[in-house]
Amino acid sequence: MIKNKTGRIFEIIFYPLVSILIFLIIWDVGVKNSELSVVMPGPWEVVSKFIQSFAVPIGKYTMVYHILYSLMRVVPAYIVGSLAGIILGILMGWYPVINRILRPLYELIRPIPPIAWIPISIVWFGIGEGSKWFLIFLAAFVPITLNAYAGATTVDETLIKCSKMLGASDGQVFKTVVLPYSVPHIFTGLQVGLSTSWATVVAAEMIRSTEGVGWIIISSMDTNNVVQSLVGIMGIGVVGFILAIVMRKIEEVLCRWNRIET
Amino acid sequence: MEQDRNLDIILKCENVSKKFQTKHRTKEVIGNINLEVRKNEFVVLFGPGQCGKTTMLNILSGLEKTTTGKVFLNDREVVEPGPDRGVVFQSISLYPWLTVMGNVEYGPKVRGINKKVRKEKAEYYIELVGLKGFENSYPNQISGGMKQRVGIARAYCNEPDVLFMDEPFSALDAQTRYLMQEEIMRIWEKEKRTVIFVTNNIEEALYLADRIILFTNCPTQIKKEYVIDLPRPRDYTSDDFLKLREEITENMAHTL
Ligand SMILES: Nc1ncnc2c1ncn2[C@@H]1O[C@H](COP(=O)(O)OP(=O)(O)OP(=O)(O)O)[C@@H](O)[C@H]1O
Ligand SMILES: [Mg+2]
Repeated sequence: MIKNKTGRIFEIIFYPLVSILIFLIIWDVGVKNSELSVVMPGPWEVVSKFIQSFAVPIGKYTMVYHILYSLMRVVPAYIVGSLAGIILGILMGWYPVINRILRPLYELIRPIPPIAWIPISIVWFGIGEGSKWFLIFLAAFVPITLNAYAGATTVDETLIKCSKMLGASDGQVFKTVVLPYSVPHIFTGLQVGLSTSWATVVAAEMIRSTEGVGWIIISSMDTNNVVQSLVGIMGIGVVGFILAIVMRKIEEVLCRWNRIET
Repeated sequence: MEQDRNLDIILKCENVSKKFQTKHRTKEVIGNINLEVRKNEFVVLFGPGQCGKTTMLNILSGLEKTTTGKVFLNDREVVEPGPDRGVVFQSISLYPWLTVMGNVEYGPKVRGINKKVRKEKAEYYIELVGLKGFENSYPNQISGGMKQRVGIARAYCNEPDVLFMDEPFSALDAQTRYLMQEEIMRIWEKEKRTVIFVTNNIEEALYLADRIILFTNCPTQIKKEYVIDLPRPRDYTSDDFLKLREEITENMAHTL
C-alpha cells in the first residue's frame, strides 16, 4: 500500500519533471550551439522572466492579474457554452426529431474556427468583453455538444428496458438512465472544450485588450519581444495544464463508479 | 379440484404467435403457444438455442408485442412493461453509477415509495440474496455472481407478481452457476413468487423447475410439458433425475 503510494507520487511528479527538464536542456544546448540564438532566447532566460513576471508587471499588471483577467473571460463563457452544449447534445441524442432538425445547422457551424468569428462578433457584441465571451462560448460549445450527443445515443437499451419494467416513466428514464449514462462522455467533451476555450483566449484577446495572458503574446508582436511572447506562451501552457488537472479531479470524484476496481 | 386449479392461474397466454419483419423477409419465431402458469409456480422454458425462448419471455413480460394472441396477468392484458412484473436479464445490466443499494431500491424509488420504507425493503432483499455488507459497493467492484444476485434482489424488491429470468446464470463459470442455482431455490423457498425461467441447460432446468416446458425449433411451439415432482433440494445424480434428464434430452434431440 505504502509502496503503491510512493509509486504514484513518483509517477505524478518525477516523470513530468524529468521530461520537462530534458526538453529545457535540449533547448538550451540547441540555442547555445547554433545561430538560433539570434531569434531564440535560451530557456533559463525565459523561465526566469516567467517567474519574475509574477512580481514585475508586463504592461500594466503582473502575471497573476493577467491570468485572472483571462480566466474571467474564459470561465463564464465556458460554463454557459458547456451547459448549452450538454443540453443540446443530449436532446439531439435522445429525440431523433431534434437531431434531424438541428444537425445540419450544427454541422455547418462546427468546422468554422473561433477566430473566423472575430469580425462578426465585434459587430454584434462590440470590442468589450461580449465579443470575447462569444468566441470562447463557441470554442466550448462545439466539442461538448458532440460528446454529449455521443453519450445519449449509446445508452444501453437493456438498461432502458429494465427501468421501464421497474416502473419508470419516460421522464424518469431520461433522468435516471440517459443523463448518468452520458456523464463520462460529457466529461470527455468538457475536457476537450476546456482546452479549446482556454486556447481561444489568445484569439479573443486579439480583439482590443490591455491585459490577459493572450494580450502578453499579442502585444509582444508590436515590440518584437520574443522573450515576452515565450513568457505568454508559457503562461498559457501552465494554466491550461492546471485546468486540465482540476477537471480530471472533478471527473474522478463524480464518476467514481466508472473506474474499474476489481 | 379442477375449479381450484383454475382460480390459481396468474399468467395466461392465448394463441400467441410472433413474426419479425426484417427488410428482406418475415421470420416466424413463435408458432402458436398457449400456456397457463399457476401462482408461485416455478416454470422453466427449455429449448434449443435460437428457438425463440427470449422472444417468448419478452412477450410474456410485455417487452415485446405479440403478432397474434394475447397475454393476461391477473386477468389484465399485458401490453407494455410494468412494475407488476420483474425481469432478471441475461446481460445482468445493473446501473453502473448506482451502488448495490441504489440498484435494488431503484424500482420502489421511481414508483414514489417513501425513503424509509424502500430502504428497509431493499435491505431485506439485499440480505436475502446474501449481499449484506456490500450495500455501498459499485457494480464494477463485485464479481459476476454477486452482480447477478443484485439483479435478482432488484427484481424482487419491486415485489412483482411474476419474475422473468432469461438465462441469468449463463455468463457465470460452472462452479458459481451451481451455487447460484442453489441460491435461487433458497430465495424462492423463502419468498415464494411465480417464476418463469429460461435456460438451455437441462440440469439447471431439472434442478429448478416445478414444470418444464419443452420448445421445438423455430417457429417454436410447445413440444411437451414435464411436471417435475422430485423432492427438493434435488440431487443431480439421483436415478429419477438422471432418467428425466435422459428422457428430455432425447426428446429435444428429436426436435432438431
Ligand atoms: N428483433 C428481432 N428482429 C428480427 N429477428 C429477431 C429479433 N429478435 C429475435 N429474432 C430472431 O428470432 C429468433 C429467436 O431469437 P431468440 O433470441 O428469442 O431465441 P433464444 O431461444 O432466446 O436464443 P438463445 O438460445 O440464443 O438465447 C432468432 O433467429 C433471432 O434471429
Ligand atoms: Mg435468449
